[in-house]
Amino acid sequence: MNDNIRKLGYFFIVIFTVLALYLGYLNAVVGPKLSADPHNRRLAAAEEAVVRGVIFDRQGVVLAEDRMVDGVKKRVYPRGRETAHLIGFVSQRYGRTGVESTFDRYLLAMDEAGRVRALVDRFLGRQRYGYNIVLTVDSRLQRKALNLLAGRKGAVVALDPRTGAVLAVVSSPSFDPGSVDTVVRTESSVQNGEKVEIKVTGYDILKMQTGDAPLLNRATRGVYPPGSVFKIITGAGALEANPDNSARVYECKGSIAVEGFVLKDFGVHGRVGLNEAAAVSCNTYFASLGLELGGEGLKRAAENFGFKLVEYDKSGRLEGGYPVAGDEIHFNTGTLPANKMPLPEVASAAIGQGRVLVSPFQMALVAAGVANGGTVMKPVVLERVVTRNGLVIKRMVPEAMHAAVSPPTARVLARAMEEAARTGTASRAVPAGIRVAGKTGSAQNPGGQTHAWFMGFAPADDPRIAVAVVVENGGPGATVAAPIAGEIMREYLGEVRGE
Amino acid sequence: MTRRDEISLLLLAGLFLAVGAFTVYLWRGGDARAVFTGAAVPALAFLLLGIMWQALGFRADQYLLPVVAVFSYASLVFLYRLQPEYAYRQFVWLMAGLFFLFLTTSLFPRYRWLSEYKYVYGLLGVLLLIVPIFFGVEQGGARSWLDFGLFHLQPSEFVKILAVLFLASFMSENKMVLARGTRSVLGLALPGPGEWGPLMGMWGVSLILLAFQRDLGTALIYFGTFLAMVYVATARVLYITFGLGLFTAGGALSCLLFDHVKQRVDIWLLNPYNFIELGDREYNQAYQIIQSLFAIGAGGVTGAGLGAGYPRYIPAVHTDFIFAAITEEMGLAGGLGIVLLYLFFVYRGLKVALEARDDFSKLLASGLTALMGLQAFIIIAGVTKLLPLTGVTLPFISYGGSSLVANFIILGMLLSISHEARSHER
Repeated sequence: MNDNIRKLGYFFIVIFTVLALYLGYLNAVVGPKLSADPHNRRLAAAEEAVVRGVIFDRQGVVLAEDRMVDGVKKRVYPRGRETAHLIGFVSQRYGRTGVESTFDRYLLAMDEAGRVRALVDRFLGRQRYGYNIVLTVDSRLQRKALNLLAGRKGAVVALDPRTGAVLAVVSSPSFDPGSVDTVVRTESSVQNGEKVEIKVTGYDILKMQTGDAPLLNRATRGVYPPGSVFKIITGAGALEANPDNSARVYECKGSIAVEGFVLKDFGVHGRVGLNEAAAVSCNTYFASLGLELGGEGLKRAAENFGFKLVEYDKSGRLEGGYPVAGDEIHFNTGTLPANKMPLPEVASAAIGQGRVLVSPFQMALVAAGVANGGTVMKPVVLERVVTRNGLVIKRMVPEAMHAAVSPPTARVLARAMEEAARTGTASRAVPAGIRVAGKTGSAQNPGGQTHAWFMGFAPADDPRIAVAVVVENGGPGATVAAPIAGEIMREYLGEVRGE
Repeated sequence: MTRRDEISLLLLAGLFLAVGAFTVYLWRGGDARAVFTGAAVPALAFLLLGIMWQALGFRADQYLLPVVAVFSYASLVFLYRLQPEYAYRQFVWLMAGLFFLFLTTSLFPRYRWLSEYKYVYGLLGVLLLIVPIFFGVEQGGARSWLDFGLFHLQPSEFVKILAVLFLASFMSENKMVLARGTRSVLGLALPGPGEWGPLMGMWGVSLILLAFQRDLGTALIYFGTFLAMVYVATARVLYITFGLGLFTAGGALSCLLFDHVKQRVDIWLLNPYNFIELGDREYNQAYQIIQSLFAIGAGGVTGAGLGAGYPRYIPAVHTDFIFAAITEEMGLAGGLGIVLLYLFFVYRGLKVALEARDDFSKLLASGLTALMGLQAFIIIAGVTKLLPLTGVTLPFISYGGSSLVANFIILGMLLSISHEARSHER
C-alpha cells in the first residue's frame, strides 16, 4: 500500500507544480496586460496618487501631460484633435483609450521597480511620478494628415517600413480629447413624477453623432473593401507561386467572363505585363492571375501579410467578432471569407471587391512589407520609456512579424508599384524629386461614391516611409487619396533630409 | 524525544505574525491593544500546545503544526487588513479550533476502534447532508448552511471527516476483494455488488450534494478524495478511469441541468486574459474572477506590500478569494510560498500514512491528506482561472468557522495517527 501512497504523493507534486508554473505565467506574462486593462479599477486608484507621465512625440513635442488647472490636476492634450485617436483619453467616467490605455503601466509606473518606489515614496510622503514615454510618432505628420483630410471621413497611416515604427495614425473627423468629460449642458426631464437632471457631456455629444462617428478610429478599426490596392497581394501570390509570372503578358479585352459572371474593366488595355497592368490598374489581368492562383492560393497570399480568414453565416453575417491584432496598437486585420469561394467571387476578390475587407493600418503594413524586402515588421509606437530623472528603462527593439513574400517577389512588386507611380494611376502621389512606389484603389461599396485608396512607400530605392490613405466615398483613389499620400511623404522626407 | 523542532518553527511563524500584525497596524491603525492581543494570544496558544505535547510525551510529526500556524497567522493578518470584524471572529474560531485539535489528539490516541462503526458514519453523514436541504439557508448560491442564530454552520465541512472515516473503515475491511475482484466480467476482474455497492453510494452522495445543495466544489473534493483512497487501497487504475468517467458524465449533465454550473463553465471558457475585448454583459458576469485576476496581476513578484494593494475590489475576498488578496500584496513570492506550504502539508500528511502500521490508519491518513490537498488545489486553481471556479474555502486561511474547526479536527486525527505509529518505534 505504501507504494500507492507514494504515487499519490507524486500526483500531488505534479498538480501543485502545474499550479505554481501557471501562477508564475499569470503573474509575469499576463500580469502586465491585466494591469493595463481599462476595466481595472486599480488604474483609477493609482491615478489619484500619481502624476501621470508625459507623452512626447519623436521630436520631443508634448502630446499629453498632467497640469494643474485651477488647483486641480488635469490631463491636457496640447495637440488636441490632431492626435485624439492615437493618444486617446483618460476619463473616470468613460474609461481609457488609445496610447493612454496601452501604456498605463508605464505612465503610472506600475512595473516591479515602480512598485517598490511607490512604497518608499509613500513612506516618505513624497509625490509619486509615472514614467514619461516617447513615441515614434511625428506630430507634424499628424497635423498635416488631419488638414489634408479636411473634415472628410477617412484615415491616414504612416509607418517606417524598416522598423515598424508608427509615424502617423490619423482618423477624420476627429474630436477634442480634452472635452470628453466637460458638461456641455444640463437637461431636465420628469421621470416617475420626479424631476431628474441629466448632465450631457462632450462624450455624449460625440457618441450621438452616429453618422460621422468621430470617436471611431478609422485608421485602425475602420474596415473597407480595398479595391485595386489589393491587387498587390494578388500579384504577390502569383509571383510566389510562379516567379515567371513577372514576365507574363496578358491580352486585356476589356472584360473577363467567369462561369457566366462578367467582370468589366475600365478600358481595353490590350497586351499588358505586370508593370503596365499595375500602372493602369487592369482588372482583367489581376482577375486572371487570381483565377490561376485559386481561392485558396489567394487566401494564403493574404494570410502571409497578416490577413485572417473569417466565417460567414448563412445570412452573410460575420460569425464572432472581427479579428484584431497588434500589441501596442490594436488594429483590425484584413479579412477574407474562410468558406470556399466560388470562381466568380475569386475573380472579384483578386481585385479587392466582394468579401474582402481591410483596415487602413493593415494596408500600410502591406505597403511596408513590400518596401522592406518582403518582411513585415511588427508595428510599434513606443520609442522609449524614461523616468523623470532621464533614466531610459525601455527602448524599442524592431522585430519581424511576418515573412510575407520573398525578397525577389518584393523587388518585382516594388518595381510595378514604382511604374504605377511614375506613369500610371498613382502618379499624383509623386512629389518633386522623390521616387515613389504606390498603388491606388477606388473601391466600390453600397454607400455611394467609391472609397478612394492609396498605399505606397518612398523613396522607392531606399524606403523610409510607407503610407496608406483612405477617404470614405471620396471618389477615385488617383485624384483623391494619392495626392494626400504624396504630401505626407514630402513632408516626412523633406524633414528627414533637412535634419 | 523532544519537540524542539516544532517549538522553534512555531517561534519563527510567530515572528511572521508579529511583523504582519505590526505592519497592518501601522497601515490602517485601529485599537493597538486589540491588535496586540489578537496576535499574541494565538501565538502563545500554539506555543502552549507544543509545550504541552512535549510534556505529555506526544510523539507525532513535528512539522504539521507549524505549517498550520503559518496558515492561521496569514489568515488573521489578512482578515484584519481586509475587514477587522472578520479577524475578530476568526480569532474566536481559531481558539475553538485549537481546543478541538487538543481534544482530538487526547481523546483518540487509540483511534482504531473507530473502524468498527462505519455504518454509523455513513448514516450520520447522509443525515447531516440532507438536513440543510430542508432546513438550510443559502449563501453564495449554495444551500449548505444551518442557521444557529449566533453563527452559521456548514455540516458538509464535518461530513467530509465522516466520509473519509467511512471509506477508510470500509476499504480496509474489503481491500483484498476490491483489488482482486470476485468475478470476471468481459475479462475484467470485478468485485461483487456487495463490495462496490457502498462505494457507488458515495458517488451518489456527491451527486446529491451537487444537485440539491448546488455545491459543486465540495462535491468535487469528495469525489477526488474518494478516488484517491480507492487508488491507495487497490492500485487499480481501472477504477480511477471509470470514476473519472462517471464524474465527467455527472459534471456534463449538471452543466446542462443547472444554470449556475453552466455559467461558471462559460466564464471559465471566456477569452482568457483579454478583457479589453469583452462585452459589458460578459464582463459583468465574470466580474468576480476578473477582479481576482486583476489582483493577482497587480502583485508582481514582490507584491504591492501589505496594506498597499486594492484586494477589496474583489467581492467575497475574505472567504474563497483570500488567495488573490495574498498574492496582490505579497506578490508571486507570497503566493508561491502558500502553494508550497500546502504541498509540504500534503508531504507530511502522506508521510504519516507511510509510517502508519495498519491499513485503516494508512487509508485514513492518506484520505484526510488528499482531502486537504485537493481542497487547497481546487480553490487556488479556481481563483486563478486554471479550473472553473467552485466555492470552497482555502483550508485554515479563508474566513469561516465550520471549515476552520473541521480542519483542526483533521489535523488532530493526522497527528494522532502519527503518534500512534511512532509510539511503537524504538
